[in-house]
Amino acid sequence: MWVWFSKLGSPKWFYELSGKWLPWLIAAMVIFMTIGLVWGLVFLPPDYQQGFTSRILIVHVAVAGTSLAFFPLMLVAGIITLVWRMKLADMVAKHAAILGAWFSFITLATGSLWGSVMWGTWWEWTDSRLVSMLFQLFLLLGVISLRSALEDSETAAKACALLSIVGCINVVIIKYSVEWWNTLHQVASPVSLDPSSPNGPQFWIATLIMIVAVYLFLSVSLILSTRNEILERERRSQWVQDLVLKN
Amino acid sequence: MSSAAPTTSSNSDTDNIMLAARELFCARDDRVLFQNLNFDLAQGQVLQVQGSNGSGKTTLMRILCGLNDSYEGSIKWFGQEIEDQAASFFSSLLYIGHRVGVSKVLTPVENLRWSCSLKQAVSDEQIMVALREVGLRGFEESPCYTLSAGQQQRVSLARLIISPASLWVLDEPFTTLDTKGVAMLEKIMQRQAQAGGAVMVTTHHSLSIPQLTILSLG
Amino acid sequence: MAEKQTTTSAAFIATLKRDLLIAFKKKNDIVNPFMFFIIVVSLFPIGISPESDRLTEIAAGVIWISVLLASMLSMDNLYRSDYEDGSLEQLLLSPHPLFFLVLAKNISHWLVSGLPVVLVSPILAYMLALPTEAYGTLVLSLLLGTPIMSLVGSIAVALTVGLGSRGLILAVITLPMSVPVLIFGTLAVQSTLNSQSPVGYLSLMLVMLSVSVSLAPLASAAALKISVN
Repeated sequence: MWVWFSKLGSPKWFYELSGKWLPWLIAAMVIFMTIGLVWGLVFLPPDYQQGFTSRILIVHVAVAGTSLAFFPLMLVAGIITLVWRMKLADMVAKHAAILGAWFSFITLATGSLWGSVMWGTWWEWTDSRLVSMLFQLFLLLGVISLRSALEDSETAAKACALLSIVGCINVVIIKYSVEWWNTLHQVASPVSLDPSSPNGPQFWIATLIMIVAVYLFLSVSLILSTRNEILERERRSQWVQDLVLKN
Repeated sequence: MSSAAPTTSSNSDTDNIMLAARELFCARDDRVLFQNLNFDLAQGQVLQVQGSNGSGKTTLMRILCGLNDSYEGSIKWFGQEIEDQAASFFSSLLYIGHRVGVSKVLTPVENLRWSCSLKQAVSDEQIMVALREVGLRGFEESPCYTLSAGQQQRVSLARLIISPASLWVLDEPFTTLDTKGVAMLEKIMQRQAQAGGAVMVTTHHSLSIPQLTILSLG
Repeated sequence: MAEKQTTTSAAFIATLKRDLLIAFKKKNDIVNPFMFFIIVVSLFPIGISPESDRLTEIAAGVIWISVLLASMLSMDNLYRSDYEDGSLEQLLLSPHPLFFLVLAKNISHWLVSGLPVVLVSPILAYMLALPTEAYGTLVLSLLLGTPIMSLVGSIAVALTVGLGSRGLILAVITLPMSVPVLIFGTLAVQSTLNSQSPVGYLSLMLVMLSVSVSLAPLASAAALKISVN
């Protein structure tokens, strides 16, 4: 177990292994994404009530579901960085923060696009999911700006790891407190506030496929950016120079 | 890249060895500061760390104190890992770095009252005696921002006199001192070595202390 | 030479005393956040409306947000001068658990920056036409909430203490974290205004305070070690 674990921590080992996995992951992603999109956007009967918007909803729900994975991911990476000082964990954490910010942003964008049709407004404070997603985005931007502010890469790694752990705890507290706050402030709730309103099993299967596709997309982009980061940080090591010479 | 030959202490009785560093390796942002660095620090020894600018003297000192943990290798305190006996190690350690640890708004007495009581109980009388010994008679109650850099350095050096710590780690303690101050500090260090303590010091001065050993970096 | 080692409580008290003494000598650090708080609160009626009905509605939120901003502003010098003059290294090298020393610094910081703001809040609440029956809840909620913000903010301050020019990074990191405190603080006041019992919210804040007291100093201590490295 330990040998495997420390081997996994070696950037070179990760680079080689991920290189083998990457084509398969990309293929799976393309397949799922195509099925999900085609089914969701073309074949799925437009919801009688929501019309075209249910199609935005498929993307929105899939991206939003994936966005929730980032802080737990960064929590785990942060603990590994602080306890075992594995450099790889920090490289993953660095790009997880950036990707997480993009995912949160897309969640907000698609959510407000959907809201603009459904609620007649681009922004609705009474939707606690949007509000807590907004604060998740702020927290992620905080982690990103902390990393860019710290010059020493090792200090930056540890500091961001700690901030991610604190941030993850915080995101959970924020989520529940915002929900609470919301139930008390819902004076006039807009129609169909809940995206899980009647949509039929077909909709949910399409959404599920889309969620898998987005998770695959997340893994692929995370692996790709981590591989770049590895080459960047290990550029002085022998194996990277051999690799460059070979190509 | 640098490596230092193992330095053997004058009296090689292993019971006397306070601090033993083995195979120390430290790299900062791809640049190796030192590797395969071995040395012992025994009771009654003054170890002067020498090296050019950027050779990792300060980093080494901070590693030994536990302020910096980005290194590989082992550092043992009386034959045991430092983590296993952190409280006893930290009560025996006195560190004075580039930043001397003297708050400018407080007076020397107030500064010492706090920084000494982090380690041991201290009376105002002890503080007064120590301040006089480092040549700050008459400045005991003036705020430190009115003192010169050398005088502030002396405030921090007063801790050496008060403290019973057996291991001193002093990073460039001579830089701001005048000739008299240098002589005084040498005398204090010598006294510490005679009393069975140990001193680790970085400086470019050539010290006139009989118990001196030199460790070269870079 | 007396070689008696200090107890942790003695080191705790020495640190508390020292920080209070420094604050007392550098009065600007106490006065400025306090003045900032009063000024920000006074700007709201000018920017929004002088009508007491509308002010009543926003009073709790305005006071709470101004407290947030003021406490964040004052956080900045919690560790910075200690970092710059090397006192922080001495603190880290103490044989005593860093948890208690950091807690001592946090308590002294709250005493000089949080408490004055809490004490003056009824006057500002009066100026914002908050009904008198809510004063007690407001002060209580601030009394519970400001230490939470000091403790949690301390982590972010510790993480950024090594930065030469910090700018607004502290705000970017800490402000989102204060959302729960803000929610429960304002809800407590609001429920008093609706003649409901605020005890539920206040006890939730008490829970949050006890969790922060027991965990945040650990995180701050770890953050300080990282920054000083």
